[in-house]
Amino acid sequence: MRLREVYVTGYGLVAPMALDAAMLFSRISQKRSCIREHPVFAELGFANTAAGYIDHHQWQEMTAEVQSDALPRQSVLAEYVARQALQNAGLTPSAFARVASGLFLGSNKYCVSQDLQQASRYMDEAGSVDLDLYLQNHEPVGGAFSRRVDQQTLHLARFLGIRDHISTHSDACAAGTMAIGSAYRAIERGEIDLAICGAVELMAHELSYYSFDGLGAVCQRSDFAADQQSRPFMPDRCGFVLSEGSALIVLESRPHAERRKATPIGRILGYANYCEAQKITSSSRDGSKYAECMAAAIENAGLTSRAVEHVNTHGTSTQANDRSEALALKQVFGDAVSNVTFTANKSAIGHSLAGSGAIEAVLSLISLHSGVLLPTLNYDPDKAEFPELNFLSEPLHQPINVVLSNSFGFGGVNSSLILGRA
Amino acid sequence: MNTLDTRPVYLTAASVFNAAGSECADLHGPLTIAQPLDFDPARLAYCVKTPRLPADVFDRKIQRGVEPQGARLLYCAGRIAPALSALNLPSQRIALMAAIPEVDGPSSCWDAVQAIGEQPDALLAQLFAHTPPLHALMMLNSSVMAHVAQALHCNGPMGGFCSQGNAGVDALIEAFHHIADGRAEAAVVVSSSPNISPALYLRENAECPVNAGPQLYGEGAAAVLLTSSAPTSGPMALRVAGFGRGYSASPERSNAVANSVIKQALSQEKLCLSDVERIVADTQDSRLMSLFAETGRVIHSSRQMTGDLGASALLTEVALTFHDDRSERAQAHYTLLLNHSRAGHWGALLLANEVMEKHA
Repeated sequence: MRLREVYVTGYGLVAPMALDAAMLFSRISQKRSCIREHPVFAELGFANTAAGYIDHHQWQEMTAEVQSDALPRQSVLAEYVARQALQNAGLTPSAFARVASGLFLGSNKYCVSQDLQQASRYMDEAGSVDLDLYLQNHEPVGGAFSRRVDQQTLHLARFLGIRDHISTHSDACAAGTMAIGSAYRAIERGEIDLAICGAVELMAHELSYYSFDGLGAVCQRSDFAADQQSRPFMPDRCGFVLSEGSALIVLESRPHAERRKATPIGRILGYANYCEAQKITSSSRDGSKYAECMAAAIENAGLTSRAVEHVNTHGTSTQANDRSEALALKQVFGDAVSNVTFTANKSAIGHSLAGSGAIEAVLSLISLHSGVLLPTLNYDPDKAEFPELNFLSEPLHQPINVVLSNSFGFGGVNSSLILGRA
Repeated sequence: MNTLDTRPVYLTAASVFNAAGSECADLHGPLTIAQPLDFDPARLAYCVKTPRLPADVFDRKIQRGVEPQGARLLYCAGRIAPALSALNLPSQRIALMAAIPEVDGPSSCWDAVQAIGEQPDALLAQLFAHTPPLHALMMLNSSVMAHVAQALHCNGPMGGFCSQGNAGVDALIEAFHHIADGRAEAAVVVSSSPNISPALYLRENAECPVNAGPQLYGEGAAAVLLTSSAPTSGPMALRVAGFGRGYSASPERSNAVANSVIKQALSQEKLCLSDVERIVADTQDSRLMSLFAETGRVIHSSRQMTGDLGASALLTEVALTFHDDRSERAQAHYTLLLNHSRAGHWGALLLANEVMEKHA
């Protein structure tokens, strides 16, 4: 039973080479990749140096806006993006303290290699970390391993004066989508009237690279230029490109939005999330579990698959995911698959884990609002492995009403959002 | 507002693992004593040995492939597997919610940190040499959840919450909604405390807590099974009757938020505090205790047996309530469980122990 409509009234976003959503959307429309050689990876002599990373210039801009040198970077990023979202929605932080409100954030891990350098300064003669010595130091908040994965959630909660619901999702690559889905359900049920939701993920550093490279998950083809390595759904795709970023969306109940005469940008129409229960690294090879999730999201929206006009795929550029997702898409749309257009944003941005679902939701909302569908970079329809899937290799001006956005995470966490025009 | 006008949700099974033992009844046993830490003898904590995972539930290779906090969680999940299996439900109708704090570390880097101390010039080389390739996955909470899902055949909705203090509240409430809204018939709710390591103290000391209290941590885990149908054994059933949650970064607003949260939890059953026979809350939390100071009520807590279990604290108390309310002497009554995190989150859960109608 549908209880209340949920409107999107604002968003904010920071991604590699883009300090806001419009900048990112424009960049991808022009088929300009956000992936480049990571200077630290190059310095360390990694075999493959491609990454999507937020650079020094971007951090300078964000730190100047947030006006804090003491905050950890996740919190700076979260606040910067939240400010964008509030401005976009025509809200001030005090709005969250006046109504039943919630903050739903996806984030997987705080892990920065500088922590080890700091920790190594507090070792005793035996090489063990001397906790008392460390705690006695007067360094500002740069303590090794002293970050919580929910630190940015707490920081935003204080900044916004959230009083009802705060949660941090840690569902790997699906965390951002699941945070949005949880917020949607909380508003739909009537628990809250206003929410800010999305994800913050900073993973483009050497520790994460080494960890995922050890799994064989990141692109192994250094003979591809950096901006060509993320090539979802192409036969020669070779693994994902590590990236990072944040996106936050403001959701409101329809009554709340109407009371303050807000202009909705879009709507969340449906959501579903399921568990694969396969091995921790794999998904169902026939795509059936992905298909179930997508179908459930479409049903939750009260629609049939024929109502979906555009799909923002998870599209990681790994052999396993893209194949499973392609099979699943064909199952869901059947003969009508030729009526649907597809995009894979990670071709331009890389994979920002929790950040990806939220970033892709924002890009989908812009497509709904503007009637511009984004191309998939590095995609050649003539050489496509799944030619029946109409991936755009050029931007397309075409009004659409319904987008399906997928996020399928490590550990078998499957989630799908249905987004609609306002 | 919490919408409880849909399907009822019952507790059907529970398991715990902590310094008191591996049975809920152990929490009524002799008082456990916090022990000095290996890495800092000046600090006391309730540490536990990593349990052996039940071989009939989990592949034995998993024992080596998870962090201790993941192993504790899997152990508890394995203990409720028989009760879940007995329900004979399709896997798509079984939800899985988890309250798992972040994995320290990467914790194997504590070996790397020591190695770096020996060869500081080769910092990264030492790091990489001491970090196993699978560690990327071991660092992700979703990997532990995947082990549970695979072993217990959970193909329904799934969610993982990682903030320390309120993750247990969020996981329980989310599980409730999946059943009440008809998206699942059962929900496995699992939780674990963080490992007690230097990283835990470093994290907790990095920020000034809203709710400061003694840092007497414990290691443990708990799992509960929620179902849409009441257990068939015994005349009593424990039902989730209400819940509430809130947050305040400001200690000055804390009591107001707490009272609002309690009111939320009691509202569905149209109760006031005097209607609740049993209240469970941390008796060391002065702010919590101040809420009941004038009522003269006895407040129950198992924290003195386990230490602060973080994300697993609330579920451990829920498991104990489930155990106690299934005893032959149990009467119909309400239990209110309150959780107040160091960061300022408030969570309340109302459980109704009720007599099932004959043939219900």
